[in-house]
Amino acid sequence: MERLFCDPRRCVACRACEIACAVEHTSSKELFAAVLNGDLGPPRRRVQRLGANPFRVAIGGVALSLGCHHCDPAPCVDACITSAMHKVNGETVCDLDKCVGCWMCVMSCPYGAITPRVKALKCDLCPDRKERRESARYACVESCPTDALFAGRFEDFESVLARPIERPWEVVR
Amino acid sequence: MNPKAKSASYVIVGASAAGVTAAEALRRYDAGAEIVMVSDERVIYSRPLLSYYLAGKLDEDQLLYRPRDFFERYKIKTLFTRAVGLDTEKSQVHLQDGTTVAYDKLLLATGSSPRFPTVEGIRQRGGVFGLRKLEEDAKAILSWLPKAKRAVVLGGGLVGLKAAAALKERGLHVTVLVDSPHALSQMLDESSARIFEEIFERNGVPIRTKAKPVALLGKNNSGVEGVQLASGEVFACDLVVVGKGVDPNLELLEDTKLRKDYGVFVDDYLCTSIENIYAAGDVAQARDVLRGEAWINALWPCAVEQGRIAALNMLGQETVYRGSMRQNSVQFFGVPVISAGLAVLTPGPLGGRSGEHDETLEFRPAPGIYRKIFLKDETIVGFVLVGDLPIERAGLLRILMDRRVNVAGVKEELLEPGLDLGYLLPLIAENREQFVEREFRELVQTVGV
Repeated sequence: MERLFCDPRRCVACRACEIACAVEHTSSKELFAAVLNGDLGPPRRRVQRLGANPFRVAIGGVALSLGCHHCDPAPCVDACITSAMHKVNGETVCDLDKCVGCWMCVMSCPYGAITPRVKALKCDLCPDRKERRESARYACVESCPTDALFAGRFEDFESVLARPIERPWEVVR
Repeated sequence: MNPKAKSASYVIVGASAAGVTAAEALRRYDAGAEIVMVSDERVIYSRPLLSYYLAGKLDEDQLLYRPRDFFERYKIKTLFTRAVGLDTEKSQVHLQDGTTVAYDKLLLATGSSPRFPTVEGIRQRGGVFGLRKLEEDAKAILSWLPKAKRAVVLGGGLVGLKAAAALKERGLHVTVLVDSPHALSQMLDESSARIFEEIFERNGVPIRTKAKPVALLGKNNSGVEGVQLASGEVFACDLVVVGKGVDPNLELLEDTKLRKDYGVFVDDYLCTSIENIYAAGDVAQARDVLRGEAWINALWPCAVEQGRIAALNMLGQETVYRGSMRQNSVQFFGVPVISAGLAVLTPGPLGGRSGEHDETLEFRPAPGIYRKIFLKDETIVGFVLVGDLPIERAGLLRILMDRRVNVAGVKEELLEPGLDLGYLLPLIAENREQFVEREFRELVQTVGV
């Protein structure tokens, strides 16, 4: 199963992925229309500063974009009292029709990746983009101007991490 | 050999959170295994949702935790009856219909039952219910409702208060009577509990604390007419719901040599004192990460995790159970609260220590909205989060508590509702030996600390 990773050396904390994610989860999938329709919800992934000091040299970068890790076994699935949160082929999926907003999953997620907004909102791996390929498969990956976001297996992401980046700002297209 | 004996590899007694999760794990890793489940309930539903059903917010189908054809789908043989005895020498479970079922490996997932207070007349009066089972409790209450105008809820715990709110929703006059000095005494510290007592009051559900019932009024075998307190005061009512916690169902084990205390003792592999018998869920007294001793946290998430881990060990895939902790998340009249850990506990039915802490961190952006974190020796031992913003990313506090991370350097930030994983990653990297999950290892490697 494909998962999403973020290279902190490339992430410039522009938050393009957050907007793209929020827009993807609207009916129109257009930023302008979504704002006018008032159905722009929270993003399901967040750009997060690394540690207290954004310029800590001990760390490989400044920020990274994080969402659901689709872990297995998933504590949110164990905690869900309605079985709304469940696994499908390795993906952790929330059936919003079943969610009653008890927030047991919010309490259980060790990554802080579930947002309580009437229903439990989290990364759903862009189900409406299943037909798309390459970077267009996921809204966040497509939107990332520095190619910090990576979709694939961790073993492949490791080789990305192993490649040096001399000047982070040069990766901006 | 007893001709009536049915032979089976795995037998699971109980088909709720722990039993069902165990059955799924057994089937996932052993496609050909013979799995038998013994249960006195035919549908697999969510007990924590019963109050939603009682309130009329969910119908019966919406309570289902697994589809109605679960047993066929997982090729599980079912015996819809009660298990009444256990012969550990012959490895047989005795069933109510007089037959037996033999096992190679047995999982006890018998759950628990509502704890009824020792009050005169409580078992004889009609209209007195727990809130644990769909048929016996929830549906029975619903069919009693046409006769009821005033309800008394005995117990100010989670189930009691959820029941009270649900009955209010149904248009009844509801009063909650609590023995303890404050409601939710197993979940919240006193000042947090006061907030919820006020919320209930404001929504027309008075909560009386230090109210010890001594008798249920009414004639034997007819409906309850009132609850009398030790003070002599009488609360007239025609419906009583008891929500004073649960006790493990141990009847099955009475004549066995299984080591038990309050529940059945299990080791770190969820195995009982007899090697082919495992236990999970509300009946299992297992490791508690914060107390460092065997305890029962009768909670849905704990039962699910234990069911899965017990099954893995039954399959021979050695898997250590890290331990449970007290934790809960609930909403009352629209106000969410998440609380976990020890610090706010009064001693439970097992006695034991109450929560000890040497420091309290508090953040109150507005009245009735806050994060409160209890520390002992610079590690989190408990927290209470009240309000929409404070509960966000509560799991981060829970994992720091679970892994006993020294938080001396991040105390101020822990109070911030904006606290996120990125902020904590350097701390997690410093304590990486505690964060063994694949995802945490990947994150630590990614940030290259």
